[in-house]
Amino acid sequence: MNDHCRMTLARISSYLDGELDTPACETIEQHCRDCSSCREVVRGLRESIGLCHQVGTSPLPEPILARARASIRQLLDEK
Amino acid sequence: MRSQVAAYRFSLLVCGHPEDAEDVMQDALLKTYRYVRDIANPEAFRTWLYRTVQTACLMKRRRRAGEPSRFMPLEQRTEMDEATVRTVELADPARAADQKLIDDSTDRRVQRALQALPPAYRMIVVMREMEGLSTREVAEVTGYSEANVKTRLRRARLMLRRHLEAS
Repeated sequence: MNDHCRMTLARISSYLDGELDTPACETIEQHCRDCSSCREVVRGLRESIGLCHQVGTSPLPEPILARARASIRQLLDEK
Repeated sequence: MRSQVAAYRFSLLVCGHPEDAEDVMQDALLKTYRYVRDIANPEAFRTWLYRTVQTACLMKRRRRAGEPSRFMPLEQRTEMDEATVRTVELADPARAADQKLIDDSTDRRVQRALQALPPAYRMIVVMREMEGLSTREVAEVTGYSEANVKTRLRRARLMLRRHLEAS
């Protein structure tokens, strides 16, 4: 791992969140074209974030939701 | 009701077990009833609720792990503390059906990778990536600065990737 790799990894999360300006993005993208290790990290991070988003957007099973609602209602009734 | 269900979902993803998630949600709701009148800004309610659930999750986890029930604020916890908090597996047959439903509905690799993260990192991932809170909102919930949230999110993402790729 060289200084370019360290710099890339330090900014990788901001890069994926679209928080870097164009020159900073281009620097990272250029480095990833030359460095297979960092390219793999970016690919893996994109995949991980995508999987998390899938979990976040998939609804909870209805029986679980029903139990949660029942529990909430019970609390409301006790009040 | 939608907020409460969101709180339950957050508890479930952080705790990993329906029984803990229900206890945590009930603690959070009781606190909500006590303090909700003091929350003037409706937008603040969301972060307040997540903060309350987060605190309840950490306390629950510490009790489960046989640790002292005294709550240590996140900002006082060192990374060593977080790394040494043990993962506790429950064996409550009464909840097996619920657990199976959750397992079936969620990518198991993601669940395992998430549970392998230190709790404070897991909460940040869940809030940011799954619940869709902004960096500013996560900072409000955790008490960290926004810069600190970003640093922790980066570390958490890298850890999560390693766990996912190892599975």
